[in-house]
Amino acid sequence: MDTRTYDRRKTLNSEKEMSLLSENSLSMQGTKPNAIFATLSDAAKMISKGVVRWSRKNSLWPLQFGLSCCAIELMDFGSARIDAERKGYLFFRGTPRQSDVMVVAGWITKSMAPEIKRLYEQMLEPRYVIAFGECALCGGPWWESYNIIKGVDQILPVDVYVAGCPPKPENLVSAFMKLQKKIGGGVED
Amino acid sequence: MKIERVDLAARLNEMRKQGYTYLVGITAVDYVNHLEIIYFVRDLAKNTEDSINVDLDPSDAWVPTITPHFKSADWYEREVGEMFGIEIRGRRTDRLLLEKWNGKAAPLRKNFNWNEPYETMID
Amino acid sequence: MSTRINIGPVHPSTHGVLRLLVDIDGDRVESVEPHVGLLHRGVEKLVENRAYMQNMPYMEKLDYVAPLSYAEAYVSAVEHALGIEVKARAVYVRTVLLELQRIASHLLWLGVMANDLGQFYTVFMWAFRDRDKVLRLMEETSGARMFHVSMRLGGLQHDLPKGFEDRCHELLTYLEKQVDKYRNFLEKNSVFVERMQGVGLLDKERAIALGVTGPVLRASGVNYDVRSNNPYYAYDALGFEPQVRSGGDCLTRYDVRMMEIEESIRIVREALNALPEGSALGMPIRFALQAVQERVSVVKREMPRGECMMYLVADPQQPYRLHVRSPSFANLSALSEIAKGCKTADLFAILGSLDIVMGEVDR
Repeated sequence: MDTRTYDRRKTLNSEKEMSLLSENSLSMQGTKPNAIFATLSDAAKMISKGVVRWSRKNSLWPLQFGLSCCAIELMDFGSARIDAERKGYLFFRGTPRQSDVMVVAGWITKSMAPEIKRLYEQMLEPRYVIAFGECALCGGPWWESYNIIKGVDQILPVDVYVAGCPPKPENLVSAFMKLQKKIGGGVED
Repeated sequence: MKIERVDLAARLNEMRKQGYTYLVGITAVDYVNHLEIIYFVRDLAKNTEDSINVDLDPSDAWVPTITPHFKSADWYEREVGEMFGIEIRGRRTDRLLLEKWNGKAAPLRKNFNWNEPYETMID
Repeated sequence: MSTRINIGPVHPSTHGVLRLLVDIDGDRVESVEPHVGLLHRGVEKLVENRAYMQNMPYMEKLDYVAPLSYAEAYVSAVEHALGIEVKARAVYVRTVLLELQRIASHLLWLGVMANDLGQFYTVFMWAFRDRDKVLRLMEETSGARMFHVSMRLGGLQHDLPKGFEDRCHELLTYLEKQVDKYRNFLEKNSVFVERMQGVGLLDKERAIALGVTGPVLRASGVNYDVRSNNPYYAYDALGFEPQVRSGGDCLTRYDVRMMEIEESIRIVREALNALPEGSALGMPIRFALQAVQERVSVVKREMPRGECMMYLVADPQQPYRLHVRSPSFANLSALSEIAKGCKTADLFAILGSLDIVMGEVDR
């Protein structure tokens, strides 16, 4: 089991990531930066920050992870009325190694929790989690059950919460747009 | 109809030969003094149905298996056995129906303790 | 020499969270072992702590593809136990809503199964668009798309809104044309037909011995449908006919379900034309409790997936014990027998044609 604590701040804001990257690369080169180099590198930093931010937020690929009732609304989100593909959340991938976002839809039992953790660890960074529906937020109607985990944020770091039982697919579009804003650095986390 | 545990397998076999070939389900109820396990069988040709009740003592809760007579009783028996702590004697497999449980607690009994540290076996 | 592969809980083609341990030898499946219980939340224990009408949201989330059928079955069991009669108009309105729910559920089955078999994504898109139209019509009656908590003891929460009948008739004519479109698309496609014909054969005696139910049983030649054998609500008066075919393979089960959609369209049309006058409202939620007439009440209903039996032991304020015998449980327990000796790719055709919803298997 992976026992690292998840440091969201490092991976969420692409600006900080780019600055970390450039700092590391400069220190590895071992040269003292002079003035022209500094302005050039600043310009390069800004352009690449913008490109990276734009590309990451506009092509979010969700992992198909519908467990129960909210999965039906997830399928509705991907189908003809609310078309997920036109905004870039392409057809849901079958494997976590190719996806960016995990939309946790449905209640999580104690038997299923290790599998979810394993899937999350198989995703490549930067990775995001959307908790879709009441059961993933807080345990939902099954709050008192003996086999349910009260919310997916007990085991995973969640970025966007969507309330509803089940939420309408339009709510999921709005949640994805909020996530896009967050990736682009618009909303302070 | 209510019968005793000793007559259970023989009675169900007899009913199956009379035409009650379809097993609808097996369930159980926990009245605190005794457990009651109920078998529902149906005759598809004549469109009649019957239920067979067996009373059990909670401290001596076992029934013989009826899978030699009704093939579909497998999963129902496992579910009732796990949920109520009833031992089904004569079964082939020991694997629990529900994934990753260790079989210590019987949830549907009335004396199930909600606050017990509920262990699950993780493989 | 057999290899054991694990078709795990998270898989695009298993419907929900189902784990299959499959022993294969080359391309032939030797044995399939379904591991269930990854969605178990103890519904039968949770309902014992709540009053009767507080349990409605629990019951609807059992089968989340056709939730109204479970809500209605539970309310029927409680009505039977407390000795409450359903109003005459509410009987027909409930029939209409149940059959619309059946159409929606079969459309979802069609979309998901076609998707599994060969990425017939077109059929998936069409089926979900049509299901969305049906759900939008049902939203007019209660306000929610999936989980309408609109059944009350003795009737419904709200009557049908004004103009519902005209919109419903429009939708039904549209759906009839769509069903023809689906049949044209799929039955002339050799990929679909060859993957489904002769696969998962189940003859009559084996079907009865394995305890399968619903369209799977009717596709094997057994004429059993709760709506015609133990009729309830308006099915008797409207002349309901069960769809029985003999054939026993996946294509026959597909055929039975498509014919059931057409039969449901006919029933809804006739029920709307025969709605009696009066009020369809049931008791409000805080009602003065009546005494328990029958402590043990058993109610059988025909869900889209098969026959469901609700066994309720009633206390004055809350259920003492509620057991739900769900159709998907019975069908899934027969999977290991049906799928012996088939090819690996046929396993998903069989699983799709059994129409399993894991929420009601695990409860």
